[in-house]
Amino acid sequence: MFRSPNLYPLRCVAFAAAAFAGLAAGAAQAGPLENLERERALLIDTLLAPELSPAERQGKVEIGRRRLVDLERMVLRDNSLTGRNTPTVRRAFDNYDLTFLVHAAAEKNVTILDNWLEQAGLTTQSLMGAKRGRR
Amino acid sequence: MPAKSLVHPAESTLLPRLLAGAALLALLALAVPAQARTEGADPSWQPQASERLVKLPADHLRKSLDSDFARSELGEALRQAEADIALKAQTLGDLQGAIERAKGDVRTELRHQFLAEKQQYITLVARRHDLGRKQFKTRERVFEQLLEKLGRDESRSSPARLDLMEKQELARKRFAASLGKVDLNLLATSAAPESRYAREHTRNAAAIEALSQAIREHPANREPSVDGEALTKQDYIRQLLADAQAGLALLDQEESILGYMAKLVALDASALSDELAEPDPAGSPAREKAGLAAAVEFFTRR
Repeated sequence: MFRSPNLYPLRCVAFAAAAFAGLAAGAAQAGPLENLERERALLIDTLLAPELSPAERQGKVEIGRRRLVDLERMVLRDNSLTGRNTPTVRRAFDNYDLTFLVHAAAEKNVTILDNWLEQAGLTTQSLMGAKRGRR
Repeated sequence: MPAKSLVHPAESTLLPRLLAGAALLALLALAVPAQARTEGADPSWQPQASERLVKLPADHLRKSLDSDFARSELGEALRQAEADIALKAQTLGDLQGAIERAKGDVRTELRHQFLAEKQQYITLVARRHDLGRKQFKTRERVFEQLLEKLGRDESRSSPARLDLMEKQELARKRFAASLGKVDLNLLATSAAPESRYAREHTRNAAAIEALSQAIREHPANREPSVDGEALTKQDYIRQLLADAQAGLALLDQEESILGYMAKLVALDASALSDELAEPDPAGSPAREKAGLAAAVEFFTRR
């Protein structure tokens, strides 16, 4: 499934999100929130990478997930972010399920990818019902 | 001895009269105390409602201000004034006892001295009132500024910032509620040991909790309360402001007492002066006449 070329646009979306987050941060020094954004983008990229075998993906995802768990907790416990009204912080807390991907997925008992796809508005039904065509 | 013998007995009563007159004049001068009080050094105390003061816990704020006042020129001057007043009150007590025991000219002299000391006592108390008023007005100003700053801090939050803080609070609550479930889930799906962050965070969190508990229970960190009700910082500062204003109101009342005291001293001085000025039935005019008549003989005898 992950080798499917249909998922290539999703990878682009993930990278674009990460790049946008990086630009929005704008600061020379990356804090836990910026690191979280980067790790999350890398994890999504790993989940969607068609060139990886399932075993390779499983290994990489496990490592990324553990790192992401720590980063998500660091961000949630970071008091310096309280009330810091910057675009990065605002966007991060606008959608808990998307920012704190691992925690939200574990809370809902779904996989990280399922959680992310759901937040991106891509369900199995919508994908299965999709038709190739020209606009 | 020779010098004493040169003084006529009539002149010995003149001196207390003059002194009493001088005392009366001095007391009249007391009627314009504002002018007299502005003379001399003007000790200052200029505390600032700094950010540090705003951030201090309520009770520490008061202690910090008190300690700053104690170190200031004004605090030193007020302490000195209190000590002077205590000494003067002691002197007055001693003089009062001495007057009761004394007789004749000594008694008159002591009465005059008693009046002069009372006048000085009133001057000292008036000085202390000025210093106290300055202290209370300064406290009033600082507390007003602190309240203003606290209010400004609260209103500084824009709706967007408040919205963000609300979302952060919700996120943290959700995180705290799901933490155990997430940990179980992670343990079930992973054979790897806990990360260093997770391990050390748990240990540090326990240490922080123990320290926080100790701080909360520390007697020096007790939050101020009224009738067992804990006060917020604003409430406490408002209470301190009310105390400062109460101090000013009491000083106003004490000014009235001081005014009555001054009036009584003036009346006492006037009474003493009148008493001394009353003609003695066997006193000086007759003797003066006799003296003049006797002097005629210096001119008629050859």
